[in-house]
Amino acid sequence: MKKIKNFRYRHLLLLFSLCAVILSALTGCTSAKADSRIQITFWHEMTGPAQVQLTKFVKEFNQSQHKYTVVPQFEGNYNEAVQKILNTHGTSASPAVFQSMDISTSQIYSSGYTTPVQKFITADNYDVSKISAVARAFYSKNGQQLSMPFNTSQPVLYYNATLLKKYGITPPPVDPSYSDITRVAQQLYERSGKKVKGLSVEIYGWLFEQFLANAGESLANNQDGHAGTPTAVNFTGTAATTTMKWIQENIKHGSFMNYGSGTSASANEMAGFLSGKLGMFLQSSADISQLTAGMKDQLGITYYPHPDGQKSNGVSIGGASLWISNDKSTTVQRGAWEFIKYLMKSQNQAAWQAATGYLALNKDSQNEPVLQKLYQKTPAAKIPSQQLARTTPNNTNSGIFMQGLIQERTITQTAMEQIYNGKNVTSALQDAEKQMNSYVQTTNKANK
Amino acid sequence: MDAPITNKQSQTHYKPKGNKKPLTVGLSYKKELRERLYALVFLGPSLLILTIFVFFPMLRTLYLSFFLTNSVGKPTVFIGLQNYFSLLTSTAYLHSLQATFIYVIAVSCLTLVLGLLLAQTASQKIRGISFFRTVFSGTMGVSVSVAAIFWLFMFNPSVGLLDQLANLFHLPVINWLTQPGWAMTAVVISTVWMNLGFTFLIFFGALQSVPTTFYEAAQIEGVSKRYQFFHITLPMISPTLFFVSIITLIESFKSFGLIDLMTAGGPDNATNLLVYRIYQDAFLSGNYGLASTESVILALMIAFFTFIQFKVLEKRVNY
Repeated sequence: MKKIKNFRYRHLLLLFSLCAVILSALTGCTSAKADSRIQITFWHEMTGPAQVQLTKFVKEFNQSQHKYTVVPQFEGNYNEAVQKILNTHGTSASPAVFQSMDISTSQIYSSGYTTPVQKFITADNYDVSKISAVARAFYSKNGQQLSMPFNTSQPVLYYNATLLKKYGITPPPVDPSYSDITRVAQQLYERSGKKVKGLSVEIYGWLFEQFLANAGESLANNQDGHAGTPTAVNFTGTAATTTMKWIQENIKHGSFMNYGSGTSASANEMAGFLSGKLGMFLQSSADISQLTAGMKDQLGITYYPHPDGQKSNGVSIGGASLWISNDKSTTVQRGAWEFIKYLMKSQNQAAWQAATGYLALNKDSQNEPVLQKLYQKTPAAKIPSQQLARTTPNNTNSGIFMQGLIQERTITQTAMEQIYNGKNVTSALQDAEKQMNSYVQTTNKANK
Repeated sequence: MDAPITNKQSQTHYKPKGNKKPLTVGLSYKKELRERLYALVFLGPSLLILTIFVFFPMLRTLYLSFFLTNSVGKPTVFIGLQNYFSLLTSTAYLHSLQATFIYVIAVSCLTLVLGLLLAQTASQKIRGISFFRTVFSGTMGVSVSVAAIFWLFMFNPSVGLLDQLANLFHLPVINWLTQPGWAMTAVVISTVWMNLGFTFLIFFGALQSVPTTFYEAAQIEGVSKRYQFFHITLPMISPTLFFVSIITLIESFKSFGLIDLMTAGGPDNATNLLVYRIYQDAFLSGNYGLASTESVILALMIAFFTFIQFKVLEKRVNY
């Protein structure tokens, strides 16, 4: 009997001590929060190495000054985050500063929920010319900077230099045309005894947009929305038709590999490339860090291809930017701006590119030792930055300022799927254009 | 409380009017009132929760389906039944509808047949069968994401197991997830595989509960195994069959996880089932009006099929 009692007593003691530990931990948390610093809630959608690096920046920022505490919160994928941002605005749950993807720019802007960063740029006389012009142009409206470009990538062409050398194929030039790529793809496919596929272009609306941008053709009227709300789209112009016919030609030849669309597509594409079963593919420059880490062969990179018989207009960017919510006090908004400025510092942008593969947007970053070291190790890693630097922004390569771009991607991706599976290029693109135009009309009606 | 009810009043109320009979014969009105009050007290909390989380959202969805919504998701333009018309005339939506029916029918039938087959096999008294019983019900413990990763690996076009096997036997290599017809097949296979564990377990339990005396009697009569299966086993487990078929049907109408992770509705909308389309329209495109319309249509459809199943299958349930 006594033994049992003793036993129970011991358990009770254990329980109490456990409670005490938990309680002290909780109070520890609250006391940490209750310091005099101003809390800046920061919503982001970064995963993997980018999340690690971003958390590091936040920690360093919090240590670098005593006024603000930035609290990072991961909010899932880009698409879901947009809805969360719009739905929590004006509540205590909303963020002070948030990251939102490229194609949500027009939507976030027209919600009227944000303070344009231009206000702080002007107030601080911040030297914005240090930041890449192409990236800035994407997130501005009538010369006003709406948000600060952050994680930024450009599409490039990756190739397996070792494989090309093995089969005696001249690599594509730095600024290739479609026929340059076709030549390499077909040679690789044939000389490898049809074992290595030459080329892959993921079914991804972003890449479709970039084909038009690089050909200097607008995707939406009113100059891609930079001169006013678009009322119609252009999927059936020369650029789209030529590009899709070029892809279909490669598919018919057999040298093209279709990895489909969606989350698994890019993973499969990467796996195919790393295992030497695919020679070239078009993808975001943000994949570099993953490629250099996983690849035994030598990696080659070129600019995004352009149609034959014309100069490339330069591609636009992808990624996301940082916005400041206007439902918080001016001091909180100021803190958010200080954090953004911190992230844009030359050495931080350099560290960001080295860790993630997203491009350093501060022009001074190129001279930072961390990037110099990267370029020494992988010379090809320079190419995306060079592509970004040489592009002069104009209305066709500064993104599309239009609502419903998510829908546009779904629709163009469906058209690409049909074309990849053999449907007539013109009729697939016409169907897509018709669908998107009716969507644009409805959207404009609902947002009047 | 109002004026207390006197005995007289209660007496007058107590008189049955027309066909209406009091709730409980022999109880006074006062007692009846108290009973109802109790009922309200006990039902109240759950009614409240249901109202907030089920009835209100349902009505709100219906309401939203008559509107266009703007960039922040607020209803702005009333358009009546326009959303319904434009959906039912859109080829993309009808395509989704067709794909959903193919998917639901294929998944339900295959799950039922295979589940029953596995359960029947596992009911045999063979040495080591308990190992297989565990294996067969194993997919119950697999989460959707794990299953998706597993099947994505199987279907991978460069390094996938299925295509490597095809290579080994010199069969044509299939691009499982990028060709419309094959993508649907791939998704159906993975869903059936996922469902099988649960279905197997339920069927297995049902088979165990069929009294062995029936089979013994049948054996004495010299009836074939097949006859036994169709005339003893099936009728005896018919309630379970009914239950499982409804559950599978509703579940496959609501399929989301595997679609999202494996094909994201592609290629060419071949696996863009109704629920996935709702998700895309609402949470990717922010088109809440259209998504609400799709939800209403889907709810009506599930209700209709459940009703049919109750009407048709219930008659065939033997006890």
